[in-house]
Amino acid sequence: MGAAAALALRDLRAVVRSRSQLYSSMLTPLLILLFLGTGVSHGLQPSNLPAGNFTAYLVAGVVVMTSVFSSTFSSASYYRDRDTGMLRALLVTPHHPRVIVLGKSLAGVAIGSLQAMAVLGLAAPFTELGWQYGYARGVLLALGVVVALNLLLGGLAQALATRIQTMQGFHLVMNLALFPLLFFSGAFFPIRDLPLWLEGLALANPLTYAVDALHVAVYARDSSEFLGLWIDVPVIGTLAAAAYALGLARMPRPTWSGR
Amino acid sequence: MHEAAPVLAVEARGVVFSYGARRALDGFTLAVPKGSLFGLLGPNGSGKSTFLSLVAEMRAPSEGALRVLGEAPRAALRRRVGVVSQESSLDPLMTPREVLVLFGRLYGLSRDEARARADRLLTAVGLAGRAADRIDTLSGGMRRRLEAARALLHEPELLVLDEPTTGIDAAEREAFWKLVRDARDRGTTVLFATNDLAEADAVCELAAFVRDGRVLAAGTPSELKRGLRSETVVVGWADPTDGELEAVRRLPETGDVVQDGDTVRVSTDDASILVPKLFALAGRRITSVQIHPTTLADAYFAHVGGRVREREGVI
Repeated sequence: MGAAAALALRDLRAVVRSRSQLYSSMLTPLLILLFLGTGVSHGLQPSNLPAGNFTAYLVAGVVVMTSVFSSTFSSASYYRDRDTGMLRALLVTPHHPRVIVLGKSLAGVAIGSLQAMAVLGLAAPFTELGWQYGYARGVLLALGVVVALNLLLGGLAQALATRIQTMQGFHLVMNLALFPLLFFSGAFFPIRDLPLWLEGLALANPLTYAVDALHVAVYARDSSEFLGLWIDVPVIGTLAAAAYALGLARMPRPTWSGR
Repeated sequence: MHEAAPVLAVEARGVVFSYGARRALDGFTLAVPKGSLFGLLGPNGSGKSTFLSLVAEMRAPSEGALRVLGEAPRAALRRRVGVVSQESSLDPLMTPREVLVLFGRLYGLSRDEARARADRLLTAVGLAGRAADRIDTLSGGMRRRLEAARALLHEPELLVLDEPTTGIDAAEREAFWKLVRDARDRGTTVLFATNDLAEADAVCELAAFVRDGRVLAAGTPSELKRGLRSETVVVGWADPTDGELEAVRRLPETGDVVQDGDTVRVSTDDASILVPKLFALAGRRITSVQIHPTTLADAYFAHVGGRVREREGVI
């Protein structure tokens, strides 16, 4: 575990140094919150929202979006290590390749979780969140959901990164797979008033349960309009464990002379 | 009964290894004594790097027997082996000190010990002043020295180097090999691959000629040169005929005669007698003459034949 921790620390340090990566995952979600939230709240006055305020409603969605961005960016570290030969050097150390992958993915989970919680922290003072369980328990609940979500996304990203040869291809697949999922996850509008076929798709979407859990934890004043934690937590927890195990299952093996 | 320590650091017998349908090693047999500085010499694609990768990554061959430090390959043995691969393998965004401390931790050193060894090695490789600079600001030679320091950090019993000085200048090469020789002097076995025969001649204590996935000959440089004459005359010769070459072979002072296009290499014990006879044979079709003492390169060409030189990238 010491080796995995040393590797995770190294990746965390790299992200802190790479300011663009540090901020870019958070900037777009915050801008969406600012402009889309304000624009729709004032221009459309949505009446179907459980707690009435669209900007506050968007907070859960942008927290999830931040994690999606972050998991995509974190995979750049895998490709950088592979392309610079660092991965090859790591794989001739006495550790099992799974330890190397574990260290790198733990860093991705930590970074994604910190960025998502930072977005929540930045948004909370300026939006009318319900905090039905109070601030402390709400934040703890949100933290648990965010960590599980990042385990899910990190595992998925790792599984794809070891299978897709180029970083461009990886980003394309991540964008194609994850961004449509964001649109019908309840991040931007409630899923309960959608046409039946789209609501069905939303219920098959793992991000729906993360968004719902975050809505329950920080946005809602009561849980009656949502799926509820008793559904969200088992689903997101199971999917996170499965995806993370999948991410660790396939070992990288760059060839001796290069990739 | 106390078991005797193995005298061979690496032993391969009839090793076979394939990449898909392509057989990279085809009956590779080699014995590397402990404490030696052993070079694998051969053209690109001859199997040198594949063999080193089996040793470094502790992979079992598909056929034959491989023993590293007296044992069959297994992951735990990597702790006793240091590796510098052919391609650079450093994260350009890290600093030299960070790299060494990280790998010290990965090789099981405590944080304090990793830091202490990192500082000691950075001084030894002349990078103490650049310890906190990002690696992408270092020259190629500095990076190679850093990789050597990383490979030596855990005080390995076996150091595996795959064409370690490719792309660095003469001064940096000398600095690199000094580090390696110092490690060998402390008891580390060094196994390296190169296709630079001049460098190998200067560095090797033992060498093996590798081609087509097999070892063609192995021994000390003087053993490999045995049977060759003391000098080699390299003649630029436009369109030599078979009859002319046969006439050269019949001269009493002539050893091996190897033709490689318009270049003819003739080994001899006395070039001052041979060269006038060559001019008498070919006249103005001789465009250049170089005379040098017989080297490992001459031994290499005598063993593997003359046509590999330009075709397969041996220099």
